[in-house]
Amino acid sequence: MYEWQETEDSMEMIHDKEERLDQLMTSYSQGILQLVYTYVKNHTTAEDLTQEIFIKCYEKMDQYKGRASLRTWLYRVAINHCKDYLRSWHHRKVTIHDKLFEYLPSKDKQLESLIVEKSRDEILSESVLNLPIKYREIIYLYYFEELTLDEISKTTLVNLNTVKTRLTRAKELLKKSLKEVINDE
Amino acid sequence: MSDPLKQLKNSMKKTVFKDFSFSEDRRNVVKESIQSNQLRSDSILYWDDKTLYSILCSIRTGPKHGYEISTLLFQKNNHVFQHKEGQLYALLHTLENKGIIASSWHEVHSDTKKYYSLTKKGRIFIRAVEKQSSRFISLKKLLQEASI
Repeated sequence: MYEWQETEDSMEMIHDKEERLDQLMTSYSQGILQLVYTYVKNHTTAEDLTQEIFIKCYEKMDQYKGRASLRTWLYRVAINHCKDYLRSWHHRKVTIHDKLFEYLPSKDKQLESLIVEKSRDEILSESVLNLPIKYREIIYLYYFEELTLDEISKTTLVNLNTVKTRLTRAKELLKKSLKEVINDE
Repeated sequence: MSDPLKQLKNSMKKTVFKDFSFSEDRRNVVKESIQSNQLRSDSILYWDDKTLYSILCSIRTGPKHGYEISTLLFQKNNHVFQHKEGQLYALLHTLENKGIIASSWHEVHSDTKKYYSLTKKGRIFIRAVEKQSSRFISLKKLLQEASI
């Protein structure tokens, strides 16, 4: 049933809808950009997708009812958008095609990897980024974003117990690839 | 042994996220694209308050078909749809999707036409604007925000 009260509320919302988008971008664009990067692992693609995510947020702003925290809502929109992208035809055809070239053995690359010794920071970042997505997202949200397990569950819509199991499993996987780093200490 | 993952934040900031930020240019692209989306002619924001009000008023007294609406607007000296009647139908369609007006097919003199009428919601919108004439209230903004 339509009520006049609703009209007045929605009016106030429009007044600052664009202002709110501006605020959202100021407060969250860096976080979203980085989050998106952990899914797509390409800087330009991450920037493109972040643009699309903010447009989506603007369109969906009225659907945000304050049930989840604003960050949880935004991140959920972002994560869904990333996963849609990773499933998309464009990504599967174009990116995988590009990757094939990367895997072709080149003498230069082999030399390079011998000469350039990777820093500890690089190794740690890379090994997290190389995890399968379901583990990667949880490690990222837990250690980088410092979300609680409960917040992670709400953000990713993954059951709390599953979040816990995945976190444990992810740490095991990382332990293997990080063995050298740990041994150095 | 300390958890090496505690370093993750620092490590990523120093490597993959180094000099990586959402630039002012990128933000402007977002704003521009939102504005251009709103300026399509089937979008409410494309039209001014007076035109929207005239359309709603033209079907206030009873259902009318598209051509009648366009004639009524013309008589009221509103020529915005002259030579682009298609835009009127697109706008009527948008208003219908938003539940402001409703349509039904009727046969008159063996000719079937689509008639548009105000819904209850549409009447509330008109009255809201008329009641609040003393203070600024935009019909356009109300309609734009009306849920689908």
